[in-house]
This record gives sequence, C-alpha cells and structure tokens, in this order.
Amino acid sequence: MNKGTFLGGTLAGLAFIGMIDSAYVGLNTLQGLVVPCEISGGCEQVLNSPYARISGVPIAWIGFFFYGWVTACAILTVFGFPRWLKLSLGANVPAFAFTLYLLYVQAFVLKALCDYCLLSALLVTLILGLHLFAKPWKLAS
Amino acid sequence: MAKSSNEKKARQVSTSAGGVRGSMVKAALAILLLIALALGVAVFLVHRNQGLSNSNSGLASPTGLDFKPVVTPKGWTKGNPAAKTVLVEFGDYQCSACGAARQTVANVLKNHENELMLVFKQYPMASIHRNSMIAAQAAEAAGRQFRFWEMHDLLFLHQRDWGDVPDPQTFFLKYAEELHLDLERFKQDLWSGEIRDKIYRDLLEGQLASVRSVPTFYLNGSLMPRTQSETQFEEIIADAIKKAK
Repeated sequence: MNKGTFLGGTLAGLAFIGMIDSAYVGLNTLQGLVVPCEISGGCEQVLNSPYARISGVPIAWIGFFFYGWVTACAILTVFGFPRWLKLSLGANVPAFAFTLYLLYVQAFVLKALCDYCLLSALLVTLILGLHLFAKPWKLAS
Repeated sequence: MAKSSNEKKARQVSTSAGGVRGSMVKAALAILLLIALALGVAVFLVHRNQGLSNSNSGLASPTGLDFKPVVTPKGWTKGNPAAKTVLVEFGDYQCSACGAARQTVANVLKNHENELMLVFKQYPMASIHRNSMIAAQAAEAAGRQFRFWEMHDLLFLHQRDWGDVPDPQTFFLKYAEELHLDLERFKQDLWSGEIRDKIYRDLLEGQLASVRSVPTFYLNGSLMPRTQSETQFEEIIADAIKKAK
C-alpha cells in the first residue's frame, strides 16, 4: 500500500466517523429529541444553547458537510488524485480554529461538555494532524 | 513512420484520459456510497435510541391508536387559575434544557400573571437521566406539604449537584430541611406508591400526547413549536393571550 492510499484511507475513515457523529446529532436536533450523553453529561445544555446554531442552521449539519468534503477529497486521493488534499486542508484549517472556539465555549461559557462535540474535536484534530503529515502543499499543482 | 508514432501517442493520451475519467467515476461512486452509508448508520442510531427510550419508560407506545391526544390542565399550577391561556409544561428535573427554560417560563408568567396559567407535569426521562424519577418524587412529596414550587425551583437550581450522584436523597433531604418540611413525612412520601402512580400518569399523558423530548410545552392544548430565545417564547405566549381575549 502506498503512502497516498494509506493517508487517503485513514482520512476517509476518520471523516466517515465524523459524518455519522454529526448526522446523528443533526437528525436528533431536527426532530427536537434529547440526545443522550453518557460520558460528559452536558449534551442537552450544549446542543440546546444558542451556540449550537449559526443563523438558525445547526452546527451539526455544517460539520456533516465538512466531513463529507474531507471524505470526498480523501477518496479522490485513494484513487490517485492526491492534489485534492490541498482543498481538504483548506477546509480543515478553519474547521480546526472553529473547533477550538467551540471547546472554549463549552468549557468556559456553558461550563458543560458534550460527548459528540468532543468526539468531533478529536476527529478534526486527527484529520489536521494527518494533513500536516501528508504535506499536501508540497504537491505540484 | 512519423504518422504511426503520432497515432501511438494520441492513443496513449486517449487511454490515459479514459483511465482518469474511470478513476474519477469510481471515486465519485465511493464518495456517494460512504455519505449514504454514514446517513444510514446515523438514522439507525436515532431510531435505536428512540426505541430504547420508549422501552425504558415501561409504558406502551401509542403507535397505531387512532385518537387525538388531550393534554389536560391538571397538575401543579401557577398564575391565574381562571386564565383563558393555559401553558402546560412536561419537564424533567435532571434535564439542563428544562433548568434553562425555568427562568424563561418564570419571566413570561411574571409578564402575564393575570392572563396565563402554567401547569407543570412530570416527565422524568429515566433512561437517560438516572436521578430524574426520584427528583420528581421529591417535588411531589414537597407538594404534599404545599411546597411543590419551592422544591421545583431548588431542584432545577441545584440540578448539577444531585444530577449524577449515586444517592441524591441526601440533597433532597437538605432542600426539604431548607423549606422547613416535616422530614419524616417527606421521607415517607418520597417513596409513596401514590406519588409514583401520579408521576406515571403524567408520563403516560405525555407519551399519548407524543412528548419526545423535554421540556415540551402545550399552549391551549396544542404543541408549542421549539423556540430559540426567550423573546420568541414570549411572542408566542403574548400572541395566544391576544387571541384568547
């Protein structure tokens, strides 16, 4: 297995988990359901707060599009188009900055943590780490 | 000779372009498949969660029954008992969104104290909030000594203290003491079968009315849409009061 296939496959795997995570929260939000929070216990408070939406759009669905985009770029890398990683990195950097902001909001503003948001933060960080490891900016355009 | 070499090159370019197109198509199919699979897994998890929620509450699902659910104005009331506008809340003391809604409801009630009646009904979601049932019992037990709303406020205000502890009873006894309740009677009532039956009746009413999350509000018998702010909540109530006049 070459480096591109390995990186693309791993990225696609992480982004796939991210899509499930964000779609699960997004679907619950659409139906107005309580999302059970087994570990951190603050899902309701976080997901019902005004910070869970941007202009009325649930952040979960914005996250789903982000993970969908990363999945697409990662799969294209696996199929021999590694230059798509540049576009994926382009989305990943603001996503990581936004993740840091959301972690700050959870820890210091709402003083409540949400399992699904923490999982997403971990995934975004790992995805960024893999991009930095792959150095897509060194690829010829 | 030169012509044949050019044809060869053209064929190679064409084969390579075909290969690229083929890979792109395969990649696009794989992407669509993964997105659909992720959505499918998420839908499955949401349905499984709903199923667990229904089975853990121990009550029959109303699915398939052909009737219009009625949310009665019976329960713990606040505001004007003769008001034409009735707001029914199904709440859970361990739910942080209900805790946050408490202040909103109190403010709205204060603004319309002569035109609005609030009814609180117990909807402890024990499958996800392990201490919600006993908290509801504590509120009802305080209610037997005419201190329901005071206990209601204390439970919401301190929900983080007792929410995830193994034995929340010590907290409830402390609140009962603060409210100068007869502690022996409170302890007895806390585990009274009648109180549990009353809570189950509220739960059943909520289930029949398709309550699926907390807090859920019914305004004059109709499900109130979820609101994002106190202003929006206030607007809906004010509108209903205006129509009722």
